[in-house]
Amino acid sequence: MTFSEETLGAYADGELDAATRAAVETAMASDPQLAQRIAAQRALRARLEQAFAPVLSEPVPERLLAGARSASAGQRPSNGSALQPRPRARWSWPQWGAIAAGLVIGALLGPLLWRSPAGGTPIDTRGGRMLANGRLEQALSEQLASTQPAGAPVQIGISFRARSGAYCRTFVMQDESRLAGLACRDRNAWRVETLARTESGPAGAGWRPAGSALPPAVAGTLDGLIAGEPLDAAAEAAARASGWNR
Amino acid sequence: MSVDGLRTELVELLPRLRRFARVLARNVHDADDLVQTAIERALAHAGQLRTGAPVAGWMFGILRNAWIDEQRARGRRTALLAPAESAENVADPSGGEQSDSLAVQDAVARLPEEQRLAVALVLVEGLSYKEAAHIMEVPIGTLTSRLARARAALQALLADRNGA
Repeated sequence: MTFSEETLGAYADGELDAATRAAVETAMASDPQLAQRIAAQRALRARLEQAFAPVLSEPVPERLLAGARSASAGQRPSNGSALQPRPRARWSWPQWGAIAAGLVIGALLGPLLWRSPAGGTPIDTRGGRMLANGRLEQALSEQLASTQPAGAPVQIGISFRARSGAYCRTFVMQDESRLAGLACRDRNAWRVETLARTESGPAGAGWRPAGSALPPAVAGTLDGLIAGEPLDAAAEAAARASGWNR
Repeated sequence: MSVDGLRTELVELLPRLRRFARVLARNVHDADDLVQTAIERALAHAGQLRTGAPVAGWMFGILRNAWIDEQRARGRRTALLAPAESAENVADPSGGEQSDSLAVQDAVARLPEEQRLAVALVLVEGLSYKEAAHIMEVPIGTLTSRLARARAALQALLADRNGA
């Protein structure tokens, strides 16, 4: 009598009905190969259990205990966001306002501001807001992720609507600045919400933007802002046609 | 179920939820993020759970949904910017000795998502086929065939490693 892999697996998992189980056991007694296949299934199951068993004795992180216990965590409305980012430093606008002026802009933007590359500085501060400028502004306003050339100096990533209703887009600068960020439409300009340096490529090979994921600070801001799903190609084109006005 | 009653059960379940998430996500931080998301969603929907209903199965289902959502979010975050990332994850340049547990975890991480979910629920968490199929929202026949494919793939992957 031959048994399928499903049946042998179910035998090892204790899921067979009595009659089939008896049939397997009878066959096993006279068929060493069958017995071996079942032994292999059981051994695999034991290895899997063993491989993950140590997690059970790890200390549970405090944030999870607090989340399960404390009243405040439960009252937080579920926003449907898939990823509740763990606490991490986020570069939101208020923080920029407070500390960015000298420190962060100096570190991240300095080279760009001083060198003033072709196309103007990508980011400018006007009226207390950090706004996209030059070719960054142009790319945010005009470029579609679905049609942009691979070599475009600014690559647009994800376009989406924030919970405020504003359109926002992620971008990566394909130059030596290695900056990635997220900008939202605000009063006919693009306000830069987050800026972070992307991981550098292998030394000597130059920077490869296509191989870099969004930096965690940008991904975290995206997760915090997004309402629903990102725009698909058609919605992105429609948003551009509307001038990115809500 | 009352929120307070649910909290007590959740604290007890945390080690198992973390293990389940670790099978799915591998990376400890990603896995714990999933647990946290699942806890928040569960507490927000405590009223949907009947008193006396098994909390573990309900929580596994919530965590599974959070994982699927996260996979989609990750897909859209990386699709445009990181076509090479999946390859990076697979490639493991570090040679040397790996414990059997690491080899098993690696092999599980290579399974297609649906198979990994079946492995996590049945082979690691020890749920019955009926419970696992319910959580995965598939018929039992689908679950058993996924399990069989997962087992065959794992045996092959681990045989490779043993032989290497």
